[in-house]
Amino acid sequence: MFPFIAKRTATLVAAVLVSSFAVFLIPYFTPGDPVRTIIRSRVSGNIIDDADVQALSLSLGLQDPLIVQYFSWLGRIATGDMGLSHVSRTPVADQVLPALAVTLSLVAAALALAVLVSLPLGIVAGLRHGKPADRVITSVTQSFIAMPEYWVAPLLVLVFALKLSVLPSAGWSGPESMVLPALTLALRPISYFTSAVRAGMIDAAAAEHVPAARARGLSVPQAVLRHVIPNGLVPLSTLVAVWFAGLLGGSVIVEVIFAVPGMGRLLFDAVVNSDIPLAQGGVVLVVALAVLVTTLADFVHRALTPAVEGSYA
Amino acid sequence: MRRRLNTHHLAAAVLTLVVIAVAIAPWIYPYPPAQQNLAERLAPASPEHWLGTDHLGRDTLSRLLEGGRFSMTVAALATMLTCLLGVAIGVLSARRRGWVDEFLTRTNDVLLAVPEMVVALFIVATLGTGFGPLLLALTVTGWTPFARLSRTLAYDVSSRGFVEAAHVVGCSPSFIIFRHVIPHLAGPILGQATLRFGHLLISVGALSYLGLGVQPPQSDWGSMMAAAQPYTERAPLGILAPGLAIFVMALCVTLIGQRAARMATGPLLLPTADRT
Repeated sequence: MFPFIAKRTATLVAAVLVSSFAVFLIPYFTPGDPVRTIIRSRVSGNIIDDADVQALSLSLGLQDPLIVQYFSWLGRIATGDMGLSHVSRTPVADQVLPALAVTLSLVAAALALAVLVSLPLGIVAGLRHGKPADRVITSVTQSFIAMPEYWVAPLLVLVFALKLSVLPSAGWSGPESMVLPALTLALRPISYFTSAVRAGMIDAAAAEHVPAARARGLSVPQAVLRHVIPNGLVPLSTLVAVWFAGLLGGSVIVEVIFAVPGMGRLLFDAVVNSDIPLAQGGVVLVVALAVLVTTLADFVHRALTPAVEGSYA
Repeated sequence: MRRRLNTHHLAAAVLTLVVIAVAIAPWIYPYPPAQQNLAERLAPASPEHWLGTDHLGRDTLSRLLEGGRFSMTVAALATMLTCLLGVAIGVLSARRRGWVDEFLTRTNDVLLAVPEMVVALFIVATLGTGFGPLLLALTVTGWTPFARLSRTLAYDVSSRGFVEAAHVVGCSPSFIIFRHVIPHLAGPILGQATLRFGHLLISVGALSYLGLGVQPPQSDWGSMMAAAQPYTERAPLGILAPGLAIFVMALCVTLIGQRAARMATGPLLLPTADRT
């Protein structure tokens, strides 16, 4: 276990360093002089004094070697100083953290919904594997993979907000405004979760200890409850974590459509407005968090399934 | 089994039909796709306009045929690029082993954790919108499922007798790879590629929907939906039709891909955890 943790932690650190370096380089690749952009965002009026440009370049440390600039930038990000947004002229950290909180609650709601729906569906499909119930559940949930979110969302809005007027069409003002975005976001995870639970059930039911338990005198429901279902759920734990990481920044479409003030929308707005400090702060945070969550999930998975040890993982 | 076979045949038939229709679109569309007719804005379905018209009075069916050309071409190109890259990386990992394998597999793990959309936004932020950045955005994260699959398969094939025998009789590593390893990957990889095409079709639409993919005056299914969204209530067909096109295409290739993967590997290929 220990070498595994050490290796994964090293990967985690390397991934954060490489991705943040790529993010750090954004202003060096984009057209326009970033120093002038910063000055323009701070003063009103179009005339920029060359002396100001030089003074700011100097104070930003732009004459230092690239690697020195990178580490001082990373140090500032790590201590919460992500610079000022070009658009709102407020600190990036003050925008990123509330957005992250919104996205976390949206993603948590969507995944909770997905688990609630796919657990019973997957269990039924797995236990009645090959029967009509399995066929219906599998084909319906599999078709969710092919549904674009930007198609489902407007249709849900059309039905529930415009025609029935039972739910708000957009915004973020209470639990009812969370229903449609969470539902849209949950469709694809439902599909993958159901298929994972189903496969887990089929594998677990085929294991030798199940007939052994039956031979010991356990009834079928007892054997299923104690031996099939718990073992069948192991694959789900990793999958939920992977999706949690993925949806942190993968909810862009849903957040844009439903005007949810979360991370996805923030990143999208930052890109559309060329607000580089905001995009940098947001991307670094999302990537670091996503990699951290999946690494932790690997640890948990390792602890739950000791058999993985030694083999490739 | 008989019934399942039929769904796959149906999916293949629908897919072929749409591909042909989109390919010969310039000769079959009822109206030029860019022709505006402001007198007939947001018209419902009628014998003249089978799928109605959009907010500028352009014929939705014609635009659907036109838009499909872009969506499907980009998705197909991205599938080919990611497939080539992924198979090359996967086979390299499996044949070289050691630190090369370790490094490539870790990179793969990390990319799997990073949301595809964030990478796409990052690339658009850096390079701007356009055909090139769009392809790059889809390729940077898209190769990982291919690499994962081909690495596992190449590992298996490499431990078989005929590969060792080829090595013993003095075949060069590249000969072994192209003559003995890659042909064994073809079936499952083809299945995977079909599944990925569906996923990429949705991703292309997503980026165009956000205005980061295809740029006006060109349009694709995603950008059509974005343009139709403000009029959802008055003319729902404008958003329903292109969305349905993406859904049906993605569903067809998913059905075909799963079937192909099952035929190639025996057991059902579990969907990999990919996301938009």
